[in-house]
Amino acid sequence: MSTKSGFPRFVYIFVTFFLIAPLIVLVVASFNASRSMQWERFSLEWYRRLFFQSRDLWRAVRNSVVIALSSATVATIIGSLAAIGIRWGRFRLKSYVQTVTLMPLLLPEIILGVSLLIFFASIGVPLGLGTIFIAHTCFNLPFVILIVLARLEEFDFSIIEAAYDLGARERDTLIRVIVPVSMPGILSAFLTAVTLSLEDFVITFFVAGPGSTTLPLYVYSAIRFGVSPVINALSVVMIAVTVALVLLARNMLKYIAK
Amino acid sequence: MRNRSGGLYTAPVTVWITVFFVVPLAIVVLYSFLEKGLYGGVRYRFSLDAYRALANPLIIRVAWTTFRIALVSTIGTVLLALPAAYYIARSSRRTMLLVLIIVPFWTNFLIRVYAWMAILGTNGFLNSILLSLGIIGEPVRFLYNQWAVIVVLIYTSLPFAILPLYASIEKFDFTLIEAARDLGASRFAAIVRIMIPNIRAGIVTAILFTFIPNFGEYAVPQLVGGRDSFMIGNVIARELTVTRNWPLAAAMALIITVITAGGMVVYSAANRTRGRGSGRRV
Amino acid sequence: MYQTPAIAGSPVLTVRKNVLTVRRNVLTHQRKRDILVDVAPGRPNTRRRQSGKLKGSEVRIDGVDKAFGEFPALIDVSLTVKKGEFFSLLGPSGCGKTTLLRIIAGFETPDVGSVLIDDVDILPIPPNRRHVNTVFQSYALFPHLSVFENIAFPLRLRGLGEKVVTQRVESYIELVRLHGQARKMPSQISGGQKQRVAIARALINEPDVLLLDEPLSALDAKLRQQLLIELDTIHDSVGVTFIYVTHDQQEALSVSDRVAVMNLGRVLQIGAPFEIYEQPADEFVANFIGDTNIQPAVVTSVEGELSRLDAEGLGPVVVTCDVPPEPGHTVRHTIRPEKIRISKKRPEGLAPNTNILQGLVDERIYSGFQSKFFVELPSGYVIKAFQQHARFLDDGPEIEWKDPVWVWWNANDGYVVTPRGGDE
Repeated sequence: MSTKSGFPRFVYIFVTFFLIAPLIVLVVASFNASRSMQWERFSLEWYRRLFFQSRDLWRAVRNSVVIALSSATVATIIGSLAAIGIRWGRFRLKSYVQTVTLMPLLLPEIILGVSLLIFFASIGVPLGLGTIFIAHTCFNLPFVILIVLARLEEFDFSIIEAAYDLGARERDTLIRVIVPVSMPGILSAFLTAVTLSLEDFVITFFVAGPGSTTLPLYVYSAIRFGVSPVINALSVVMIAVTVALVLLARNMLKYIAK
Repeated sequence: MRNRSGGLYTAPVTVWITVFFVVPLAIVVLYSFLEKGLYGGVRYRFSLDAYRALANPLIIRVAWTTFRIALVSTIGTVLLALPAAYYIARSSRRTMLLVLIIVPFWTNFLIRVYAWMAILGTNGFLNSILLSLGIIGEPVRFLYNQWAVIVVLIYTSLPFAILPLYASIEKFDFTLIEAARDLGASRFAAIVRIMIPNIRAGIVTAILFTFIPNFGEYAVPQLVGGRDSFMIGNVIARELTVTRNWPLAAAMALIITVITAGGMVVYSAANRTRGRGSGRRV
Repeated sequence: MYQTPAIAGSPVLTVRKNVLTVRRNVLTHQRKRDILVDVAPGRPNTRRRQSGKLKGSEVRIDGVDKAFGEFPALIDVSLTVKKGEFFSLLGPSGCGKTTLLRIIAGFETPDVGSVLIDDVDILPIPPNRRHVNTVFQSYALFPHLSVFENIAFPLRLRGLGEKVVTQRVESYIELVRLHGQARKMPSQISGGQKQRVAIARALINEPDVLLLDEPLSALDAKLRQQLLIELDTIHDSVGVTFIYVTHDQQEALSVSDRVAVMNLGRVLQIGAPFEIYEQPADEFVANFIGDTNIQPAVVTSVEGELSRLDAEGLGPVVVTCDVPPEPGHTVRHTIRPEKIRISKKRPEGLAPNTNILQGLVDERIYSGFQSKFFVELPSGYVIKAFQQHARFLDDGPEIEWKDPVWVWWNANDGYVVTPRGGDE
């Protein structure tokens, strides 16, 4: 390492501090008995309230999980198939498919939210978990396609040709070669989709209806209407859960890639 | 064999994206040319009211504010991200340094915004520190202005700028810098004249990944912004849910879409020339 | 191994539909072919395979054209690969050899023309139902399957029982000498081993024809030699028709029964390796195969088999041709560097019809078994002459840089070809 990299190193340390410090503040505050940021004493009060006095919150968590799993599943299945078609197919509409499927990724989230809201309203679909599911699948698709494509790109088309050459039919090739080969990509696409779905606020905000509050919507209203230190405790729990999930996923992927 | 399968495999996605993305966008375009309905919605009569309403000085000011906030936050993000990405790419412990950047983003976006509110709030962390150190006599209002919006936007965008920059710097062949130095360039000149042009695609990606979402931002100004930081996203939401002028909301959404598309054109233009001399480390 | 007969049989070029059929001095070469077959055990007539009969098929390609957009990849290609033959398609990259292979495999469809295997038109048959298997340049091993499962893949598709599969796979693992590697994954084995897996996998279905697409190009030189020999052995033991695509003339010449030289989408010459080398059909083939000196030359006079040329840079030379060129025409004169003798002293007692020239050694490259001399003639033309180091220090006085030397060769060793082939 060059000793002259003083400036970049300084910036890196600053950036890392800038990124991590707020979360540390949250963790500390969640154990503070006081409602303000002034340290009073250690307390688990907020965690108690989080786990035992927040029924709405847990309903929101359940909604979020249902949406995340269902939209990630659908997006992963049809998105992986599409990635295979895009990578190894030649067909009319290919450039349409390639451009249009990636657009939800490039446009600001609000555009997808607004256009889906107007769409559902114009055809009279009531907003609720169903519309959230549709919206989440929409924004998950480009990620799934990109991730699976990246995995497929590591492999030469010749393995597909080899499969045909050795007597495989299209279905054999798909089941015996393409899907197993892209499995690490498909799994990480699924996990990414779950994460994105759990995370999304803006799009959900536009297409959610009464009774379909997701966790981010719940957090949003909690922040807007009276900050409660319960949110601090919730944040810490969410950080812990995410870290645990990420580590689990990493080990799983490692195991599968092996 | 190639020809047969491709269309079949992509059919579900094509249908899904067409029905739930292309058609809704088309409806947005359509609505922007209709008359507004009394209680939201539209009346099916052609009208340019929405576009006339865009010329409203208030909306123009919001657009300008939005542009300025997006621009300043983008510049701030890239200026921080570039040296940080460079440092990561040159380090021998890249994975660890990258993880440190990404870890905070394993937490929910709103939680991250909320953390800043907890820090910058009137009863927040920063104020309590400054008060207890005696630097200020009474709490300062850090929140609810456009600087708070810019800081939080930089915060939320940083990884999206660092990652593409890191990817292109990592691919850059640093012997080119040595060659430039050997030929008499100063360290600064070598970086500006040799490295920057070669990692241009990464820089453009970083700028777009920052600017576009920030331009369409809704939540951050809603939570930490004030009257001076009302952005287009907020106006759209207001027109949809409160004022109920759907054609106007549609027209504004369309403008964001057009600006994004413009950005994409710039992006693909930059990408097309990327092959030019972006060396690979051996 | 291949020596020129005293009087080289000269080809008569009959151009029919762009197929260059070489009608040669049949007797001489047929005899030589027989000798070759006799001295090389395991050649086509002595298959070791149980039944003793050839299992391969004949492949007939007739008038095939293929264009990719504007780019013509194959132009009116016709050739016949005989049963059980080791046939090479040789040419520079982009010459169309791989495209032709992919047409036989079924991955591309020709624009016009037909491909017959044992007189059956295979073009309507999809690749997975052709009795043709391919060894891919990149090996194309399935990364998620072990060596064993890669080789077993075709059998699994056919739903064969575990016992049969194991038995068959093991016999092919034996054939390609991969004992002990069966349970490894493709990422854990070397390039040469991957290549063997690819070969075993392609052979396990007992195809009529095995296609090999530059199978050795990713390996280093030593390993390439070794695998080439093994490939030859495998060919002999399975008796399948091999069609081998390569840009490496050494590979093609050393293992093939016959070679088709291609350039710019056309087949320029088809023949046994020694024919390709000794009797190139045109300037391109002469240049592409081996090293040569080649000059434009004007035919000045013809006396029976002996022609006199005025060759650019060399001046007047004599050359024997069975088919005399037309006086006054411009042809190409070519002489292989290893057929040129070189000496500091003027040689005595030269045979009649020997061309002899004087020049200065411009450069000398010592390369172990031989020295390459670049001799500058008074005209400024630099002629290449290779001298084998047959016996240490016994090749006559050492020739050094700037030495004046004599170079000479017999008219029989020179050769006349038509100007450049393939490109118009």
